[in-house]
Amino acid sequence: MTQPKGFRTATRRYQFLFWPMMIVYVAIILGASAFIDKDTAPLWLKTTGALAIALPLFGALFAVRRLTDETDEYSRLRHLRALRDGGMITAGILFLVGFLQVFNVTGEVPVVWFGVFYFAAYGLSACLQNFGRTV
Amino acid sequence: MKNIIRALRTERGWSQQQLADKLDVSRQSVNAIETGKYDPSLPLAFALARLFDRSIEELFDDGSNVANAAE
Repeated sequence: MTQPKGFRTATRRYQFLFWPMMIVYVAIILGASAFIDKDTAPLWLKTTGALAIALPLFGALFAVRRLTDETDEYSRLRHLRALRDGGMITAGILFLVGFLQVFNVTGEVPVVWFGVFYFAAYGLSACLQNFGRTV
Repeated sequence: MKNIIRALRTERGWSQQQLADKLDVSRQSVNAIETGKYDPSLPLAFALARLFDRSIEELFDDGSNVANAAE
């Protein structure tokens, strides 16, 4: 665990890692969708493509984790609340969809959407903290 | 917890952002402390006390001051 570095340093370090990771992610996902045909491409290429897309996301997740270690105490509390709420909402939806699948109510849902949903739920929870609490 | 941070800040003509910059915290942190929605940790309370040249007891009132005065 890294030590708190203050709001400005922590935010700068977060932005210097998170946004490049997002740019790399978008570039790779666009490249992979354009050049890798998931029906005909060899297994090694599909695996490499999937890994290449996931790696910058690991970097982005690390940036979020490091931010929660390094930022000031109140910002850390807000981020951790948002991460908690996002995680719990995602877990709840995951259980619901899972049981709907078990009982053959719904078809299969691609697992990748739960990752997207988690980020969205985290962002939404972070925004909702601005309403009715502290602005 | 009640405090006099807002009064001391406005007395000096600082905005919330300026105080946040001096403490290296977010503006939301300053607002949350001023409105009593968040009680700072001891290190941050000490930083505030040093900045305003007051003791922590002068800055924050947890209600015991009133109780002590009544006794």
